[in-house]
Amino acid sequence: MTNGDVAKSPIDAKAEVRRAVASLAGKAPKTESTTSDLSIDEELNLHSIGWEPVELVSGVSLFSTPVGLWNWGEGEITSASEAHALAFKYAIGRIHREAADAGGHGVVGVHVERRVYSTHIEVSLLGTAVRPVGAKSVEPSNVFVSDLSARDFTLLMVAGWEPLGLATGASFVYAPRRSMGTVLQQQSQNVELKNYTDAMYSSRESAMERMQQVALELKGTGVVGVKVVEGPMSFAAHAVGFAAWGTVVRLVSDAHHFVRPTMVVSLNDSGVAFDAQSLQ
Amino acid sequence: MSEVTNDLPEATGRRLEELEKGLFTSDLSVNEFLLIKEVGFHPVGFVMGSSIYHTGIQTRKWGQSLELTKLTEAMYNARELAMTRMEEEASELGADGVVGVRLDVNYYEWGKDAAEFIAVGTAVKAEDGVSRRNQLGKPFTSDLSGQDFWTLLQTGYFPQGLVMGTCVYHIAHRGLGQTLGTTGQNVELPNFTQALYEARELAMTRMQDEATQLGATGIVGVRLEEKSHQWGSHTIEFLSLGTAVLKTSNDVTLAKPTTIITLDN
Repeated sequence: MTNGDVAKSPIDAKAEVRRAVASLAGKAPKTESTTSDLSIDEELNLHSIGWEPVELVSGVSLFSTPVGLWNWGEGEITSASEAHALAFKYAIGRIHREAADAGGHGVVGVHVERRVYSTHIEVSLLGTAVRPVGAKSVEPSNVFVSDLSARDFTLLMVAGWEPLGLATGASFVYAPRRSMGTVLQQQSQNVELKNYTDAMYSSRESAMERMQQVALELKGTGVVGVKVVEGPMSFAAHAVGFAAWGTVVRLVSDAHHFVRPTMVVSLNDSGVAFDAQSLQ
Repeated sequence: MSEVTNDLPEATGRRLEELEKGLFTSDLSVNEFLLIKEVGFHPVGFVMGSSIYHTGIQTRKWGQSLELTKLTEAMYNARELAMTRMEEEASELGADGVVGVRLDVNYYEWGKDAAEFIAVGTAVKAEDGVSRRNQLGKPFTSDLSGQDFWTLLQTGYFPQGLVMGTCVYHIAHRGLGQTLGTTGQNVELPNFTQALYEARELAMTRMQDEATQLGATGIVGVRLEEKSHQWGSHTIEFLSLGTAVLKTSNDVTLAKPTTIITLDN
């Protein structure tokens, strides 16, 4: 497109955005077909326990953080921790609503993408809504969201457990700076940097505890597949963060069903062992 | 190496208290979770230990191969701090052991020579209430996955502890005369070969010593990692890691494997 074309047909960005937002608020058009990002075997797995995929659903949320927040301070960076919690809460709320509108009872295989920038925190979730074959739709609050793959979901159900939702927790903390004297003194020594270790511990403990709190609120008895992201912010070396998330589970049957695994040796090739191209 | 004694940083209290009430957290996948249950264990909590550590400076001689003891000590000390803290968390939860342990070193922009040493894993407890701790009375640790843990137990072996040995070694540069003398020739470089051998031997021997201390009869899943971290090309850390195991029963319940050809790719 040349500049001339733009001038002739200006795109009304605001109107576009309004139209897009309005379409999100309405109910999804009812169709018979389903969309999902499951592989064939995952779909068969689901069917084996009487579930089916319904729709590919997503939830996104972006929270801004105050300017200059990350550089100087003491203790926890509460507004960043709050922004993180809210971004997750809203994204989960949206994926719940989308899944419920599509007639799903839960969302499996959710890809969790979270990014922390100096100006905002972004969370996006994308997964496949599933339901027991032909089941009626439920309220959004009764939909579960899980980052377990469809295969893991099947295994869990077979063992008598059910997923209840996604639990997350995050905390950001300022690490106090070492004085110039200390830096020089420690220059040639083997020594633990207490200021950073303590900051990491404090952010980690708050984050894990928040995740556990969510799990308890969902009446779960465990959190499986916990993922953690930790370390200092790339844009502020003296701010450290810790985030954790995982799927909350509960035993629903009277007792755990043992799965009795069989030993197998796959005869498939494990891969190309030797590539002779470099000998040409 | 030196015994590390330390206490957990203050913040750990409440999280562990909550875990004692019956909620468990775990970084195990569903497969691993089910396999752990299969052999009579229940996960009790996701445990971690970390230490952010500043490594000192040691001068090296350009033409001399030798171990850099100060750096070796730093690598040991920092990892021990992380591992001990993780074990303490597991002890506090009343766990019998920690499975799926991962040991990592992360470098950030905190200035030169500072790194985070971190150990994470899932603490597990036997459901029959019989203690499975190792002979030092500490929870066993193991870097085996849930799948490997299940398989190992079927063969009558039991993990005793994650053992490691490390050695930071400076490998001598070759002199100009040597370099010129070997130009254009197929020839072994004995000083390099010997230095690498010695460093690996030191690391492996230290690992074996740790296993002997635990009264283990073998080490499985040994990995040998070689990293230059941030010290330049001629200074290398040799790290060997594995799970020390002990034969605890003579029953081998592992069924004969079925061979399969999977239809997916």
